[in-house]
Amino acid sequence: MQSTMDKKRSVRKNFPVLNMSCASCAASSQSMLENLPGILNVSVNYANGNAAVEYLPDEIQPQEMQKALQSVGYDLLIEDENNSRGKLEEIEMKSYQSLRRRTFLAIILSVPLILIGMIFMNIPYADYIMWVLATPIVFIFGRQFFSGAWKQLKHGKANMDTLVAMSTGIAYFFSVFNILYPSFWTSRDIAPHVYFEAAGVIIAFILIGKLLEARAKGSTSSAIKKLIGLQPNTVMKVVEDGSIITFPIAAVEVGDELVVKPGEKIAVDGNVSSGNSFVDESMITGEPVAVEKMKNSPVFAGTINQKGSFRFVAGKVGSDTLLAQIISMVRDAQGSRAPVQKLVDKIAGIFVPVVIVISLISLVLWIIFGGNSGLVHGLLAMVTVLVIACPCALGLATPTAIMVGMGKGAENGILIKDAESLETTKKVNALVLDKTGTITEGKPVVAGQFWLDHRFETELASLEKISGHPLAEAVIEAFPKEYAAVSAFENIPGAGVSGEIDGKIYFAGNAKLIRDNRISMDVSINDKAEAFLKKAYTIVYFADKDRVLGIIGITDKIKDSAVEAIRQLKKENINLYLLTGDHDSSAIAVGKFVGIDSVRSEMLPEDKRDFVKQLQREGKTVAMVGDGINDSAALAQANISIAMGKGSDVALDVARMAIISNDLRKIPQAFSLSRITVATIKQNLFWAFIYNVIGIPLAAGILYPVNGFLLNPMIAGAAMALSSVSVVTNSLRLKTRKLVL
Amino acid sequence: MKFKTNIMCGDCIKKVTPYLNKTVGDTNWSVDTKDPKKILTVENESVKSDDVVNSLAAAGYKAEKI
Repeated sequence: MQSTMDKKRSVRKNFPVLNMSCASCAASSQSMLENLPGILNVSVNYANGNAAVEYLPDEIQPQEMQKALQSVGYDLLIEDENNSRGKLEEIEMKSYQSLRRRTFLAIILSVPLILIGMIFMNIPYADYIMWVLATPIVFIFGRQFFSGAWKQLKHGKANMDTLVAMSTGIAYFFSVFNILYPSFWTSRDIAPHVYFEAAGVIIAFILIGKLLEARAKGSTSSAIKKLIGLQPNTVMKVVEDGSIITFPIAAVEVGDELVVKPGEKIAVDGNVSSGNSFVDESMITGEPVAVEKMKNSPVFAGTINQKGSFRFVAGKVGSDTLLAQIISMVRDAQGSRAPVQKLVDKIAGIFVPVVIVISLISLVLWIIFGGNSGLVHGLLAMVTVLVIACPCALGLATPTAIMVGMGKGAENGILIKDAESLETTKKVNALVLDKTGTITEGKPVVAGQFWLDHRFETELASLEKISGHPLAEAVIEAFPKEYAAVSAFENIPGAGVSGEIDGKIYFAGNAKLIRDNRISMDVSINDKAEAFLKKAYTIVYFADKDRVLGIIGITDKIKDSAVEAIRQLKKENINLYLLTGDHDSSAIAVGKFVGIDSVRSEMLPEDKRDFVKQLQREGKTVAMVGDGINDSAALAQANISIAMGKGSDVALDVARMAIISNDLRKIPQAFSLSRITVATIKQNLFWAFIYNVIGIPLAAGILYPVNGFLLNPMIAGAAMALSSVSVVTNSLRLKTRKLVL
Repeated sequence: MKFKTNIMCGDCIKKVTPYLNKTVGDTNWSVDTKDPKKILTVENESVKSDDVVNSLAAAGYKAEKI
């Protein structure tokens, strides 16, 4: 009997069971599972190939169920795929939470530290209290900087971590020395200052900066999951005796015959064996119009069947399908991206050795010119130069600018998912654009009509309404919604349709339909047809049994904003490329119209990705704009990826920038945003460093001969406060700037 | 001759029985369902392995000579 305790801990899951060849296999696999410890309930259904299991995860895991079934020749399908992705996200989550915890603790301890250091410095044991407060900040919460600096040092290099570790470490130990052995200084008439709050506050602020950066970073994409989701979980398989059973997709083998009904997703790659229909292949080829499938036509996993039904023989399954290859291309591209070196690290790499040299020079100068207490003063100078060297706002310079930049982008309909994109965009010198859905609307519409005399709109629309042809939508949209009754409707695959309205027979379809039925075409119709073909329109002929009465030209309209956007981009000196999976003729026509010379057509997803790779190999920084699944591998490969807001979920997930509206003019705007954001970062770095740079000669003792002025914690505090305020203010200033179109 | 098959369980054996009996002869074959490879052993050496495979295919099962 199940106790209530069991009920709470139990897990319910469905697993496909493989290798079942008859109903009693279901029974025997079920009894096999039932007898395992920890299984509360199991029912195996032969018809859908599924085992519904309720089990106690403390006592048994799916892997053990799988082993048990494997020992008698069956198998259990456990989703390991999504597990490995989950691990990565878990690790990222944990490190983010650890960072957040350390940052908050550092802030909490820094507050009393500042209060005592700046205001309450005369309370009893002030120095000791500050020592206690500062120790955990520097060595526990700030330990990442020390380990980072050590790693850099081993390679003889320096970065931001080095600067932080050096400055705070020296500040800390100098202060400890001063507490324990103040007489070293006081005997020489030097005040033994304590810089604990400088050390603590620097670490706290730099951690805040790191936290802001981590928040602005894009999270691991769920694009892979969405791509996998394009395949159905089960298929309808035709078995030996002709009956149709539901079968798990993972168990489909080459040569299996599968049934596809209207509206269903196609599970694997193969060739049509019987029936006919139209299939939406836009996710693979980008073609906006569904493709006609007849006997022997190829079909692909992940595509969507429209209104007909058919059977096909599986040719490529599992990881051999085109869709699976797209998935692995995206995954590979995402994994191989190398992080861009940060400007801050570059600057620190030069600054640190320079500061060390300055501190040594001051030591030497003091020894030479300092007289009796020259050495001691020199040591003081050397140490304090290093203490004042690290700007506390250093860590805030980049993240604050990025945050405001991303916010500004969002206000303008440009979604930026990670900081790196914002910085890299202005470096782009090659822009690759997808055609369908990016430059064009993605939807076929009627672009032109020509009628001999009477406009048979109602008749044509009535035929199209029943036809289920993908172009029918465009025709129906363009004409008034009044329809006539159609009898004797006939669908002629590969040619078109025919039907009887008010006693007369009419035909609607392509040139083949007209030829096969020996319908004559007037010269004027012919000329118009040629004009349409030149513009790469698809033509629908409407005729009665004697002659063609009119033609309709259908095309995928180019977005109004496209020409303007391309013009703007050309001004930026960026090389433009147009890629599409569609035919030559429409690609060239579109390219001409918008002004892009480099056009490539009939490109498969991997061709697009390879094109991007090739440009990168030539040393170009490549941005890719796309909207379909067939663009996702190229988007993942590009340095900057931009998805159109109305595009597929997968493209939106893979791309690190998205344009919410479909307005292409946002692309040059994104470039402008990137430029001013990077400018703001550079300004911020200036403001962060300037006060400390002024402080360095003060610490070295420049003013000593004048008025005995040396570094003290007040100055250090003032520098920190001023730099932080300047940086944040400058970043907020970015908010007010307009994005130039 | 031995074959690796997908004759999974007792009921499956019932299904293939008439086919194998016709091709091989009723006392000349046995299936070990306890083995995950579901080994079919055929004692009659004069039967061609292709015939066995085809006859199982007609019953709706697969076989691979080992």
